[in-house]
Amino acid sequence: MTEMRTAPTGDARADRGPARTRRKGLSERALARLFIAPSLLVMALVALFPVIYAIVLSLYSYTRRQRTGFGGLDNYVDALTDGRFWSATQFTFTFTVTSVAAEFLIGLGFALLMNQTFRGRGITRAAILIPWVIPTVIAAQMWFFMFNVTPGFINNIFGLGDFSWLGQPGWATFAIVFADVWKTAPFVALLLLAGLQTIPSEMTESGLVDGANAFQRLWYITLPLLRPAILVALLFRTVDALRVYDLVAVMTGGAFDTESLSVLVQQYVVRTPNPGYGSALSTITFILILAVGMVFVRMLGRDIVVGRGAER
Amino acid sequence: MRARRWVAAAGTFVLVMAACTPGGDDDGDEGGDGGGDGGGELVWAIGGAEAQPGGVHQQVAELWNEQNPDNPIRIELLPEEADQQREQQALELQAEGSGFDVLGVDVIWTGEYSENGWVESLEDVRDEIEEASLPGAFESATWGGELWAAPYNTNAGFLYYRTDLVDSAPTTWDELCQTATTTAASAGIGGFIGQGAQYEGFVVNWLEYYWSAGGELYNDDQTEVLFDTEIAAEATQFMADAISEGCYAPGFNTAQEEPARNEFQQGNVVFMRNWPYVYGLVNEDTGSPANGNFNIAPLPTFEGEGTISALGGFNNAVSAFSDNTDAAIDFVVWAATDPEPQTMLATEASVPPTLQSVYDELDDPVMALLGEILPDAKPRPPAPQWNEISVEMQRALHPAVNGQADIEQAVETVRTFLEGTIE
Repeated sequence: MTEMRTAPTGDARADRGPARTRRKGLSERALARLFIAPSLLVMALVALFPVIYAIVLSLYSYTRRQRTGFGGLDNYVDALTDGRFWSATQFTFTFTVTSVAAEFLIGLGFALLMNQTFRGRGITRAAILIPWVIPTVIAAQMWFFMFNVTPGFINNIFGLGDFSWLGQPGWATFAIVFADVWKTAPFVALLLLAGLQTIPSEMTESGLVDGANAFQRLWYITLPLLRPAILVALLFRTVDALRVYDLVAVMTGGAFDTESLSVLVQQYVVRTPNPGYGSALSTITFILILAVGMVFVRMLGRDIVVGRGAER
Repeated sequence: MRARRWVAAAGTFVLVMAACTPGGDDDGDEGGDGGGDGGGELVWAIGGAEAQPGGVHQQVAELWNEQNPDNPIRIELLPEEADQQREQQALELQAEGSGFDVLGVDVIWTGEYSENGWVESLEDVRDEIEEASLPGAFESATWGGELWAAPYNTNAGFLYYRTDLVDSAPTTWDELCQTATTTAASAGIGGFIGQGAQYEGFVVNWLEYYWSAGGELYNDDQTEVLFDTEIAAEATQFMADAISEGCYAPGFNTAQEEPARNEFQQGNVVFMRNWPYVYGLVNEDTGSPANGNFNIAPLPTFEGEGTISALGGFNNAVSAFSDNTDAAIDFVVWAATDPEPQTMLATEASVPPTLQSVYDELDDPVMALLGEILPDAKPRPPAPQWNEISVEMQRALHPAVNGQADIEQAVETVRTFLEGTIE
């Protein structure tokens, strides 16, 4: 909006334009709303409508694909009393907490490294980002081959014989978390690097002059200034990790206690369709993810969400 | 400034129109798939190794195209795994899309597809098909007394074994495990591999133990549950022991068909349960340690008498949303009853054909063994709820086989679920 106001100042005729518009035609605010309306409408169609439609569907009972009547909250009661839902929830949260924590630590390390000036920095940056560019299903299939007993690349390299990573509980979860960290730590690094580059070098320089050592400069200067970027990275990754589907579907198919909420939802939407129950499960998943997302948004603070954070 | 208001209105209009166009484009594409491209091109949605370029399904399609240049058929390659093939088809059919004309339908999907109204009834051509096809395959294409698909290929499980390591094929499961454990130890490789990952193939493998111990799921018309928890527990216990005692190779519980084949082909296991398609592949691979050193046999039983195998295979159905129904019906009838494509399945890829006459004319070990075991092969119930039953069996029995869950409780869960399917 600032642009609209400043642009015509040089021209005398155009200068009168906005003033007249305010009296006679649409105000700028109304015009702004009008221009935004189409995109809001499209967003409502593609984003809001499916959510509401899923909530409506979740209130009906079905036998396979055929609707049999109005069920009220029956589907929700069934879901919340099903042990399978709770074990999927447990896996999903275990996966999220461990993978996001590891991705953050590794990503931060990468970002700090990439933020230094050294020979071959461009190549390092590109190399670090390669895993992130690979489509997730392909990465998942690749890690399946790496971990699985056949062909068993990891077992060969480390001389582990026939250790069955994907064929026992615990290690199967570990393998999935590992693949996710490998894949998305670069993404976290990228977000944090963007944050690091907004920190003026004078800050750390003056810290240096005041005699702060490397760790103190990181802890008291870099990290507090990086807080908004960290929160954004954690928000993206957490919300993403809570929806994990492809890694699990390809690597274990949900066997050995690795069934995630999305895998469960997918089963009732696609494999053994029950649109009512499937929608109830996806609505519950949606609410869980929304709640976690809201916590982060609150932590970020309203000012940053509105967009002033970048100026700080 | 009136002009400005008009510009705003026009802008809004253009944006809204732009937002609507993708829908219009989609419709155009759909039409193109069905009837465009200068004639009636058919799309055949089928998956698996043989649907890939160079595979036998492609050769069958090319044969059809030579003979029917007006209605050529093109394969839409679906994923390797049956569950995922069904999902791909379901996504298109649920949306009533005309993108697929001919559907490669697994024998267990017949009931579901007909219940959903996704496939055309083939009652008009029933006699022609029934006369030519193997009875088991024909039955698998019917549901509720009506024909919904034309048989294309059938399937049954074989026991593959290494002739350089084992003298003769075992006839009981216990014998198999004893031989597997001792031979594997002395040869430094794995014992037995089958399909032990948590998916449909696991249920097929489990059922072969359960059936061969005398168990049944339902009575013939599926009105009564005959699930025997004692036999089921016995079969599950056998598999659990086979894992813990090292009879099954370490990769068993994550293996599907192809990983199992790789293990056998690379010489990493003594025994393998797999479908006939493996025979041709290992025979052609001169670099494989198993090449020239393996043979096929019927699957063992617990008693040592007879054999039992789960009936597999694919039938070709005509999509109810096809824009080219007549040509699609011509194709499925041709693929089921014409000796040329049916013989091709057998000779080019050891995929078992459903045309009876082919078995009389061909003299090769795979077809001979199939002729022996197909009469005893058992179909899984092709009921609309089979997928739910299968998922429940996977969830209950897979952890039990892997020692993560109580066996008694697992088989009880399956029985309760089966009883819930009868109403």
